[in-house]
Amino acid sequence: MEKFKQNPVVKKIGFNRIILIGVLILMYIVFCVAIKGFAAAGADHLMNTLNYVYFLGFLSLGVTFSIATGGIDFSIGPVMFCCALIGGYCFNSYKQPLGLCIFYIVLVGLAFGIFNGYMIAYQSIPPFIISMASMNIAKGIGAVFTHVNSQSFPQSSDPVNGWFTRIVSYDGFPVGLVVFTVAAVICGIIMYNTKAGRYILCLGSNEEAVRLSGVDTRKYKMIAYVICGICAGIAAVYFVATYTTVQPGYGDQYNNEAIAGCVMGGTSMTGGIASILGTVIGVFIISLLQEGILAFGFGKDIQLIVTGIIVIVAVYADVTARRRKN
Amino acid sequence: MTKKKSLLNDQRFIAALVAIVLVVIYLIFSKEFRKYTSFLSMLDFSYYDILMAYGVTFPLITGGVDLSIGTGMVCYALVAGQMVRNNGLPVGAAIVLCLVLGLAIGILNGVLIGVMGLAPFIATLSTCMITRGIGSMCSATPWPTTSQAGGWFHSIFKWTFGTGRQAFKFPFGIILMLVLMFVLEFVLNHTKFGRYTIAIGSNREATALSGINVKFYHVMVYAVCGLLVGFSSVAYAAVTPTVQPGTGAGLEMDAIGGVFVGGVSATGGYGSIIGSFIGTMVIMLLKTGLPYIGLQSNWQQIITGAVLIISVMIDIVKKKGAAAKA
Amino acid sequence: MGDVILTMKGIDKSFPGVHALDHVDFEVRRGEVHALMGENGAGKSTLMKVLTGIYKKDSGTITYEGKEVEFHNTREAQDAGIVIVHQELNMVGDLTVAQNIFIGREPVKGIRIDDKKMIEDSKALFDKLKIEIDPTAKMKDLTVGKQQMCEIAKAISHNAKVIIFDEPSAALTEKEIDDLFAIIRDLRAQNMGIVYISHRMDEIKVITDRVTVMRDGGYVGTLITKDCTKEDIINMMVGRVIYEEPKTHSMCPPDAPVVLKVENLNAGRMVQDVSFELHKGEILGFSGLMGAGRTETARAIFGADPKQSGKISIMNKQTGKLEEVTINSPVDAVKAGIGYLSEDRRRYGVVVGKSIIENSTLACLEDYSHGIFIDKAAEKKVTEKYIEELATKTPGPDQLVMNLSGGNQQKVVIAKWLVKNSDILIFDEPTRGIDVGAKNEIYKLMNKLASEGKSIIMISSEMTEILRMSDRIVIMCEGKKTGEMDIAEATQESIMDKATRNIK
Repeated sequence: MEKFKQNPVVKKIGFNRIILIGVLILMYIVFCVAIKGFAAAGADHLMNTLNYVYFLGFLSLGVTFSIATGGIDFSIGPVMFCCALIGGYCFNSYKQPLGLCIFYIVLVGLAFGIFNGYMIAYQSIPPFIISMASMNIAKGIGAVFTHVNSQSFPQSSDPVNGWFTRIVSYDGFPVGLVVFTVAAVICGIIMYNTKAGRYILCLGSNEEAVRLSGVDTRKYKMIAYVICGICAGIAAVYFVATYTTVQPGYGDQYNNEAIAGCVMGGTSMTGGIASILGTVIGVFIISLLQEGILAFGFGKDIQLIVTGIIVIVAVYADVTARRRKN
Repeated sequence: MTKKKSLLNDQRFIAALVAIVLVVIYLIFSKEFRKYTSFLSMLDFSYYDILMAYGVTFPLITGGVDLSIGTGMVCYALVAGQMVRNNGLPVGAAIVLCLVLGLAIGILNGVLIGVMGLAPFIATLSTCMITRGIGSMCSATPWPTTSQAGGWFHSIFKWTFGTGRQAFKFPFGIILMLVLMFVLEFVLNHTKFGRYTIAIGSNREATALSGINVKFYHVMVYAVCGLLVGFSSVAYAAVTPTVQPGTGAGLEMDAIGGVFVGGVSATGGYGSIIGSFIGTMVIMLLKTGLPYIGLQSNWQQIITGAVLIISVMIDIVKKKGAAAKA
Repeated sequence: MGDVILTMKGIDKSFPGVHALDHVDFEVRRGEVHALMGENGAGKSTLMKVLTGIYKKDSGTITYEGKEVEFHNTREAQDAGIVIVHQELNMVGDLTVAQNIFIGREPVKGIRIDDKKMIEDSKALFDKLKIEIDPTAKMKDLTVGKQQMCEIAKAISHNAKVIIFDEPSAALTEKEIDDLFAIIRDLRAQNMGIVYISHRMDEIKVITDRVTVMRDGGYVGTLITKDCTKEDIINMMVGRVIYEEPKTHSMCPPDAPVVLKVENLNAGRMVQDVSFELHKGEILGFSGLMGAGRTETARAIFGADPKQSGKISIMNKQTGKLEEVTINSPVDAVKAGIGYLSEDRRRYGVVVGKSIIENSTLACLEDYSHGIFIDKAAEKKVTEKYIEELATKTPGPDQLVMNLSGGNQQKVVIAKWLVKNSDILIFDEPTRGIDVGAKNEIYKLMNKLASEGKSIIMISSEMTEILRMSDRIVIMCEGKKTGEMDIAEATQESIMDKATRNIK
């Protein structure tokens, strides 16, 4: 076992990550065995899972950055919906070209990121308070902007704008998976290979030491939340491309799922340690779990409860691991 | 320091002024608002918010938060309501069930935070999802109406004299709220529990070093919050013809926002039940009052978010000022 | 003076790597004020912590009121009548004075806390102590001095028989110190045993009956205060055998240009009107007792804390002229070429959860980046270079800093500023928590850096360190500069004299 842990490849990926991959595979096998017809309809379930992975993955990648600073952003779910609603309204009511609307969607996410980041980094308001406020503001704006109407995006059969759904899948080829993988790689590069990522991780670990090294910590703290906002915007694009409709007033539950994916993957709630690869695997597990619960014949209710418990267990594991270290 | 100056320094006084100004504006601009029935219905819808606000004041004073109060309230109302409808549970027992459920989730929160050491927002975000999930397992449930058997519970909050068009309704609930306010204010300021709640919020370590069982009191704080939320679910059932599963997310914001408007300190150590009452009234006036002057009710969410940020910023600026003086 | 109430005999205590207490003897009589003196790190606080149950002793006996005792926590000691008034105040700011005094043992009537009784009892306590504090005031609104008085009142309310004051006067004004002394005399008259830990020689002469001196964790001796002179005590405190030869003359050429000039720096109570110059290639020692304002001065220069006024000038590398610089944050200071090595490395120096590489390039990542991307090969190379140059003991540059020893962590911090190529380095207690072998390495390194043209400010509470390393010495006391001397004319006694001088 020790030898396996010391293997350079294993070390690079991280032992815990490998266990997680094992969990993921095991989960799939269990579902196949335990649920009648799960294996037979495997392609469908896999597709559903992937669809879930796309938007949730972006949310989770984004929130990894804010958690890495030792903060949190649990406004991302409603922000994602707010972005999608505004984009949808521009498309449906203002008849803006779809391409432009996609741009708006990401722009709204960016705006929320800047707002959250500024308030947390420069006004030193506790992150959880800003998250609560932003969550409400996002829901409110989404509802007010659309006059409380749900917004629809083009189906794949749409002759003009049908291309939009191809960002999810093209004739069965999972384009979304490619995009998500590229995005994860980019996030990984930002986190581990750029100045911003380095400072974000370091300040999450010991903000004062970084400040006393002459680094403008507030700027980099803000950048983390801006990345988080942009990711929420992109998540919104994938959400509407996959499910085509959004309703005002929702989105909270995805906060928890995104945070669950992130914490499960080994990102520490106290900051300083983040794993993009872990987040990706975590998101796959969460998404497969949601699909599996549905396949078992349970509903949203059980999904919520299970995710809630997963977050508690994952965070508690992190807390105890940290205590043992000190 | 003159008396006047200290009054203006008290955020509760400012909040009360804001409430009065709002009432005056509504009275001037809305004919509808001047009616007794409007007054009555506004009060009706404020009770559950006030009760949640009373409850969540305690965690906020310890520097924590309880995000599960909104979904929790709806969850208890659903579960108890279903028992009444399907299992013939007497309404009196249903009320007790609400309290017990609230207490149980409160204790769970308390253990996660005070004993296991999870961050309050992450622990209660999870229980928020869990209670929402549990609530979603129930079907949409109407509690007995005034005229049905078991409808007596309405008179906890509203007394009706006479029948038909001549019926006069008296908002007994407001008296109950005021009595409860003084009781809880007493608990906060004159009992060991209240004292240690403040002490934990101000300096947990020093409190522990003074030989106080902070873990126990930390759990108690969330238990008391849960109990009051349990009661709020009765008030919620009294004004909601049919309690819908899956709702309740976001309701916690009205209460938490109200407590912050009432002057609780963002970092803990100070808060007052009277302030929470006044603050919640301000939020209620914004929430139920805005439609009277022609604003969509969804603006209320945006305004609540903004009000929350402003209240917290006032607190932070005040603290900075105090630190600069020292 | 009455009979002996408390005797500690042969107390021994070791921490990993440090022999903190070496068979120390100590006794307190009823109705005496017994001073416990020694340099920082001599073991005074450790001894008191062993007494009150915060630390467990390795060997030795404690006899209290004729019985051998062992306390497991402060609560037990408190209940027995031994209380400690800590240097760092242990209070709940949002509660009132009375509530703080009685926290954890509030009088109750039913479920209601009897605040009236608490306030009255507090008043009675304050009357007894002849101090005027409003028991209903919030603790955080009081001055530090008043807060200290409350701590004392709290201590007395436990029916204390032995009270330990751990540097009570550090944060007090003159007037408050007078009040404190009045209280202490009063307590002595009530036959309590009082232990008084302080650095201030003048106070010791005024208030105490006996003095016990400790040095390097060992017991040196006990004197009757009125029979000894200040010099006697100082000699006992510093009279160790000095292994390291002190510097006899400055290594810095007399014509070395000024690289840093600080004029009339003011930053809060702890930095008042401080001015000094630092020359190129010089090691400028900052001596003084704990709480003299040296760290605060360094932090103000570095922009880590806000300052009220003062002019800082730094030599421009190109022109060689002094130019005034504005330093509002560490960002400005680092740009101006200053590096700060904090006394608390783990909190302010290194990011312990990160690798040596990440820590080494923390201050100048832009020099090891192409655009926004980090050049990992280059940063590894430079880290390895400094690991070799500074002889940092580590399996490799990827090692997490938390796995390194104190001395090697310090080397990582030094490397950080060398990688940044900072010209002015402020070493705050450079060898605190570092074992003797590693200490010498750090000293060698500092000398080498100075000879290479770096200018160093070294804050140190260790007299031998100051005398061994400094070319020139600035002495501070209570936020003010009280002296400056060349190494050639410095002696332990002359420094200690200035460091303990009461300005008024």
